[in-house]
Amino acid sequence: MTSPLSDEDLVEGTLGGDEDAFSQLYERYRQPVYATAYRIIQSAEDARDATQEIFVKLYRSLRSWNPRKASFSTWTYRLASNHAIDCWRARKRRHENLDAEDTGEKAEREYAFGDAIRSPYREVAGREQIDAVRRCVDLLPALQKKVFILRYFQEMKLDEIAEMENCSLGTVKTSLFRATHAVRRALRKARN
Amino acid sequence: MPGSEARHYSEEELLMHLLQEESPEVGENIAGHVRECGECHAVLREYELVVARILRWGLDDFPAEAWDADRVRLLEQYRHDRSWLERRGLLQTLIRGLEAAWSYALENPLPTLGYIVVAIAFASERTITFLRLDRVVPATSEVIEIIRQFF
Repeated sequence: MTSPLSDEDLVEGTLGGDEDAFSQLYERYRQPVYATAYRIIQSAEDARDATQEIFVKLYRSLRSWNPRKASFSTWTYRLASNHAIDCWRARKRRHENLDAEDTGEKAEREYAFGDAIRSPYREVAGREQIDAVRRCVDLLPALQKKVFILRYFQEMKLDEIAEMENCSLGTVKTSLFRATHAVRRALRKARN
Repeated sequence: MPGSEARHYSEEELLMHLLQEESPEVGENIAGHVRECGECHAVLREYELVVARILRWGLDDFPAEAWDADRVRLLEQYRHDRSWLERRGLLQTLIRGLEAAWSYALENPLPTLGYIVVAIAFASERTITFLRLDRVVPATSEVIEIIRQFF
């Protein structure tokens, strides 16, 4: 059995016009990229669109990836989280405008869509607590949100995130603590 | 750090300990302190529960067919972009060539002038032959003869 190609090999193939190499990169990173976008944007449809846009951005800027500076996964998560933050801001602006017009219909649409797709977590007990986490994360500032999601859900180490975000380890630690502390408060509130 | 009795650890320090984001030495100190300090132990325990709840936040995912359709669209876009990039690549090569020629011309004006004269002579000769202008325009030997008679 042949061993799977490394990220470097796939990147080289993609740059050389090898569609299969790009397809493999997509298969390898689609899930974590979508998961990151989903938790930042908090809308499955928008996160799916964002995932598509992230992969277009990815191959267009592939030449700027420097393996000596960051691993391909770190570089990809950076691209994904930055793009997702932009989408989240745009979505927020859009919703602020929409909220003024119509709130009921929007809520209905979201609910109907939620039922149409697979939602394993909905069956898990403590849904209210998960909703509390979601609502709290949605209100976090951009850096805290990014650090929170990359640390807890992509299991990136904080020093990697610091390097990725070009800021100090202390800043990243404080961001993660503030975000977690805010979630802790939100959970307490939900419990009461 | 503080010995186990010296001070309580901050919540941030305890969270970093929980996530194993501190140095092994600091980790050992905190672990020692937490074993003896009920207050810090309680805070650490609460953060453990908070992190466990955070990690229960799952995904609303789409069926595999939806992602397959996205992959097909993405590959189409990739193919389209590739062909455009290749065309742009040719243009960029041409521009780079012209830039290099211009730099050479500035550094070596006389040889450049010679090349230009040779190129013009060659192009003129090819134009005359191609358009059959040799019937109208006198041949080089005739021009030389005319000049010789003139002088």
